[in-house]
Amino acid sequence: MPNPPLTSHERNGVSFWEYLSRNWDDVLLLTRDHATIVAVAIAISTAIGVGLGILTYRNQTARTVVLQITGVFLTIPSFALYALLASVPFLGIGGKPVVIALTMYALLPIIRNTVAGLLGVDSAIVESAQGMGMGRWRRLFRIELPLAWPVVITGIRVSTLLIIGIAALGAVVNGPGLGELILEGLNNATSPFGLALALAGFVGVVALGILFDALFFLLTPLTVPRGIK
Amino acid sequence: MTETMIRLEGLTKRFPGQTEPAVEGLTMDILEGEIVVLVGPSGCGKTTTMKLINRLIEPTSGRIFLEGVDITRSNPDQLRRRIGYVIQQIGLFPHMTIFENIATVPRMLRWEEDRIRRRVDELLDMVGMDPPRYRDRYPKELSGGQRQRVGVARALSADPPVMLMDEPFGAIDPITRERLQDEFLRIQSEIRKTIVFVTHDIDEAIKMGDRIAILRERSQIAQYDVPEVILANPADEFVKDFIGSGAALKRLGFSFVQDLELAQWPTARIDDDRDTMLRAIRRALANRGWLLLLDDQRRPRRWVTARDLQRADTPTGAMGQEVKAVVPSEATLADALNEMIRTQSSFAVVVDASGAYRGTIDFTVVTTTGDDAAAGGLPGQAQANDEQAGEVGGRSLRP
Repeated sequence: MPNPPLTSHERNGVSFWEYLSRNWDDVLLLTRDHATIVAVAIAISTAIGVGLGILTYRNQTARTVVLQITGVFLTIPSFALYALLASVPFLGIGGKPVVIALTMYALLPIIRNTVAGLLGVDSAIVESAQGMGMGRWRRLFRIELPLAWPVVITGIRVSTLLIIGIAALGAVVNGPGLGELILEGLNNATSPFGLALALAGFVGVVALGILFDALFFLLTPLTVPRGIK
Repeated sequence: MTETMIRLEGLTKRFPGQTEPAVEGLTMDILEGEIVVLVGPSGCGKTTTMKLINRLIEPTSGRIFLEGVDITRSNPDQLRRRIGYVIQQIGLFPHMTIFENIATVPRMLRWEEDRIRRRVDELLDMVGMDPPRYRDRYPKELSGGQRQRVGVARALSADPPVMLMDEPFGAIDPITRERLQDEFLRIQSEIRKTIVFVTHDIDEAIKMGDRIAILRERSQIAQYDVPEVILANPADEFVKDFIGSGAALKRLGFSFVQDLELAQWPTARIDDDRDTMLRAIRRALANRGWLLLLDDQRRPRRWVTARDLQRADTPTGAMGQEVKAVVPSEATLADALNEMIRTQSSFAVVVDASGAYRGTIDFTVVTTTGDDAAAGGLPGQAQANDEQAGEVGGRSLRP
């Protein structure tokens, strides 16, 4: 992590606002890294989650199995999961175990909402599409997914907000992002400087949450077809 | 000569986990250009039967022929693009505009964009919706009746020879339903598609069907014939029960005034002098007591008696009684009866297309004709039903 450009003498008396104004660039950089790792994990888990949702929504057993397994993922404490993944030889420490852990945590809401969205499409609409000679995949991509999309995107939104917080803990395996500030703050817990660091990390995570949420707020009406708004 | 468009041969459908088959050994021919209505109580397998035709449900055994070609094993998606499909819930795609909805099948068939645009406009016109106004709307912006029209337009988009319609007007209020039925019959009289129409409503079946198949459980055909014959001569108790108690009344809708022998009355022109009129009354073979006054185009105007004529103070134009019950000769007996009830008359004056006097029809003629009107009133039907044909010989019916 970048060292705050402060001498040890200065560190002891620094306030949160002083810290932020002097280290703005670093905090911004860490926020960007944090956002990137969340975005990468969400992209991967959306691809996997929507895919698994599509593959399993018609089959009750497959659906239940997938939802139960991904449900178990969510119960694993993130600290333990990071440690576990970091100990896998070819992963090691850094961004990789964090992305994998975040992807695992993001799966359940996305799969769940994909399944719910697809099952919620009016069966009469699907039947008339089939009756008009639309094949399985055309039906899925032209009719079912666009109609299920508002529900699917809500799942992605929930997952995103969920993993923004979890990503902060990625710093324990040297993952990138605002967690570095929080961890460093924890190491200096007895000094006001520690508080400033932790606060900067905290505020950054919350700000990122608001930013992502706003992004979805803008993105949703843009991607939901006009006729079903 | 009409050809067989659809032939079902020994069709059986057994759903897994059910002891009784939903459809068992069904064989039937559906002629080109006809509306065949499958009607029966719920659970009789009529919808299953219809879905076997476009293979939304695959038959357990048996074969289906479309235009003489066995389609039981052909590519179902390609088959369905040649068969229009309309269901009760309509199933318009809510995220697509009316244009995109109707363009769905032509696009799958890779029509030129230009041709698609022309076709969509043509279809919207046909179902009575102004293309520029509705093309770019979404289904939720339309009323139920308009959605149903778009559903029909969408099913017709690629000009399929066959249409399957599953209770298409079932979810629509009665007034709109009646209008849509009439509109659809008008469209059908132009496009002459082969239509398989499913309903549980016998009145709708009688109205829409060129031919009706009354089905009982397992899609067994109880009777398959033109509506007139089914009404006049139900094959068994099941059919009789299904038609219900109103059958005799419904039958009047298939007999036409012009096929009856009309009664004649003495007539005179309304501007003749009174002596001519009196002579006309007295000259009449059977002195019926009444004289019908016609105007210069032979349209019925007033009924007068000899006594009215002798009352010199009233002008001829105001003598006697106004003619109230008038029916055109192409009307059905149901129309005639309705007119009599409406005007509280025991008979009605029959006029031709120009409104000129043809004769009169009596209440008792309508009621006695009701018994065998279906057989006698429509000579074309007589051959379809030999038993009934024997009884034609017509009392008040023309030979």
